[in-house]
Amino acid sequence: MPFSHPVRLVAYLAAVIAVTLIHDPRVLLLMLAGLLLSSGPSRLALLLRAGRPVLWILLLISSGLLVMGWLTGQPVLHALLLINLRVLVLALLTAWMLRDVDLDLALVRVPQVRRWLVIVRAQVQLFRRLVQDYRCAQKSRTVVAPTLHQRYLGSAAIGLAALDKGVHNAEMVTQAMRSRGALHD
Amino acid sequence: MHIPDGLISPQTYLPALVVAVPLWWWAARGLAHQVGDEALPRLAVFTALAFVLSSLMLPLPGGTSGHAIGVGLLALVFGPWVAFLAYTLVLILQALVMGAGGLTALPVNALAMGFIGAWTAYLLFHLLRPVHADFAVLAAVFVAVLFSALLVALVLGLQPLIAQGPDGSPRFFPFGWSVTLPAILLPHLFIGAAEAALTLLVWRHARRRCWIPSACGREA
Repeated sequence: MPFSHPVRLVAYLAAVIAVTLIHDPRVLLLMLAGLLLSSGPSRLALLLRAGRPVLWILLLISSGLLVMGWLTGQPVLHALLLINLRVLVLALLTAWMLRDVDLDLALVRVPQVRRWLVIVRAQVQLFRRLVQDYRCAQKSRTVVAPTLHQRYLGSAAIGLAALDKGVHNAEMVTQAMRSRGALHD
Repeated sequence: MHIPDGLISPQTYLPALVVAVPLWWWAARGLAHQVGDEALPRLAVFTALAFVLSSLMLPLPGGTSGHAIGVGLLALVFGPWVAFLAYTLVLILQALVMGAGGLTALPVNALAMGFIGAWTAYLLFHLLRPVHADFAVLAAVFVAVLFSALLVALVLGLQPLIAQGPDGSPRFFPFGWSVTLPAILLPHLFIGAAEAALTLLVWRHARRRCWIPSACGREA
């Protein structure tokens, strides 16, 4: 893609809004086909990545619509196609954007937002790793399967320990970087 | 209780954006003043915790999903404006990292969970705190989750009324309030109770660690 990352991000935002203004399933189907064709050789992986978070919600809405149509006798095919295609096109657009847009570069003109996105994203990764570490440590020392009560207690202890460690790490890193003149906030 | 992209109409998300933008601006303006230098890393960790809590999703028949929110905890520790801003960041990250929620749904999700959730928890906690602090946390978070869920259910149920095709067929979310209210509110009775217990656990821990300046020394 020859465009810069900020341009790609703006194009994505414009496309998302445009999709919510289209109410013809045929146009949305064409868009979906166009997106899949132009998204490169990993299009199947992209479609799977896009479909996974919305699959259950679409299944629930579609089955609800079919039941409603069956009970009332009203045609629901148009609404069924429209809603499913719109949600899928939007999810595919988001998955494509996530693959091809570097948010750090795209948000270079909005440093406050970029700063917080980077900080929180790093903390999320750190927090998950801490929880995983503690969970592994707990499992390796547990011989018999814990009861539900023990699992709740264990999860609470792991969560609080990870929170302590996360806060401690974040404070230490911030103080160390600030004292060395690395932070300019 | 995220609303995904594509289920709410521009008639809904554009007015919601008009309401949310000045609130984000106001919240951001006071952020540096409300959160001191030493509390910033803590805020980042609590925001990450809210992200992790709200990442464990269960799809609900009402077209949304059930999960803990974490905004009540943010509001009790950092105040409602900071919680609103931090939770908006959680929603953006979830939309951009996990594909949950979405950018057109962001203003509605941020107002329902971030703003209403945070303010309900904060106000109710301070109202009930003289009675009993632990009870105040439980009640505040439980009611905040239910208020947020109610708002999401009302917004979704409004869609078939305001966004129809010429033949009356729905263009966005297809079910009315008779479906969305029970489908979203009933599971959130359990989610709210679980989140209230979880928040109490972390809130007591934060109080012991003196991470809540207003509670530090008074109830520790």
